[in-house]
Amino acid sequence: MMKKLIFPILLLLHIFANAQDTLPDRKQIKWFLPDHLKLQFAGNIGFLSGGPGYISRNRTLETDLLFGYLPQKFGGDALVTITAKTTYSPWRIHLKNNYNIAPFSFGAYLSYTFGTQFDTKWPSYYPIGYYWWATSFRPGLYMGGKVGKDVVIKNRRRGFECYYELGTYDLLLISYVQNTKYLKPSDIVNLSFGVKFGF
Amino acid sequence: MPRSLRYIILLLVAGISVSCEGIFQYNPNQIILNDDEKNLNRKNIERIQKLPLTDTVRFILMGDTQRFYDEASDFVKSANNQRNIAFVLHAGDISDFGLTQEFRWVNEIMQKLKYPYVTVIGNHDLVANGPAAFGRMYGDLDYSFEYGDNKFIFIDTNSREYAFNGAVPDLEWLQSELASNTSGKNAIVVAHVPPFNGDFDKNLESRYAGILAADPNVKFTLYGHEHGYRDGFIYNDGVDYYVTTTVGERGYMIVTTWKGGYKVERVAY
Repeated sequence: MMKKLIFPILLLLHIFANAQDTLPDRKQIKWFLPDHLKLQFAGNIGFLSGGPGYISRNRTLETDLLFGYLPQKFGGDALVTITAKTTYSPWRIHLKNNYNIAPFSFGAYLSYTFGTQFDTKWPSYYPIGYYWWATSFRPGLYMGGKVGKDVVIKNRRRGFECYYELGTYDLLLISYVQNTKYLKPSDIVNLSFGVKFGF
Repeated sequence: MPRSLRYIILLLVAGISVSCEGIFQYNPNQIILNDDEKNLNRKNIERIQKLPLTDTVRFILMGDTQRFYDEASDFVKSANNQRNIAFVLHAGDISDFGLTQEFRWVNEIMQKLKYPYVTVIGNHDLVANGPAAFGRMYGDLDYSFEYGDNKFIFIDTNSREYAFNGAVPDLEWLQSELASNTSGKNAIVVAHVPPFNGDFDKNLESRYAGILAADPNVKFTLYGHEHGYRDGFIYNDGVDYYVTTTVGERGYMIVTTWKGGYKVERVAY
């Protein structure tokens, strides 16, 4: 399964790398080229997940498409996910030596896990509404922060960032809301880390 | 990144990963268990079979803890105040979404019981990665054990989850379990979906009820699923069907059984 994922990721990297070499003002010519790549650890979208993303002109809103993988060894089951994710970081504090901090970010994601045991539309042998949630799609929320550094590589300024996120998802959230005596917020919150390479 | 910041982050990561087990999650459907969360039915049966033998066995039938953690905690308090209870039977729907996290929460609650508990699988436990999670955490979906004058038989009756394929419940297995009860112990069949419920395979209903009725050792049989109490000789064949309510409704049953007799009480808490 890992092999299947590596090829598309390498292909993407290759396309981006070439695009950068040949087109300094690539965004003006090919608007659809991504602005950055992210690599994330944990966060309920894979043991590791990674993929391209875009950032708004004012650098506050990022949208990413992440391909995630959880090996059987670490997760008890090998699971492949695709995740769309949007992060809003309203404030950025610039420090010396090209460092910057975005102290607060928040966002939402929607992940899809592949597998015949997961359903998007329940089979016809269930009455309508028998189970109200899809098991393949999982929406989630998170908040976090990040530190970044701008570095100049090949005469171009690129942003490099490390971020953390504390998140949860719909099924855990509803479990908590209905059981505030037994469950603590920490029972439904999980931590993730990631890095971002700007182009 | 300044060196000091790097150290702080490293320390933070190390600290968090040591102090908060499970702080990193990789997928809602991951099946990550501690060793003491595996093969619980087998371990708890061993505990039950070490209990001193008595002529009369008293146990609790409860179930459908699905997303009722507050109520399940209160159940444990109520159950621990009962006297002469040998063990607790969980009639299924341990989880609501088939998530390992839910099974772990319920087990954490049930660990606070003074008694061992064993489970039978419910339809919600068969959703998503639920079957694998149940299998690793509790064990086989169909199983049995003997204690004193009783043989407890647990069977997966969640036919709808298998698209009513005709193989669930496994009637051949049920028949062989009853047939191997040669010493004539009370045969107590425990399942999640009762045969008269729409989630039980209609094509197997009469054969299932017939198998129970044909065995003189089967006096009564126990279920959950319906989120309400029910009892009666549903098929007028001498077998008493008991359905317990969900802990969400703050109720459970206490079953007392002895050679040749039984008694069932309802408890509200």
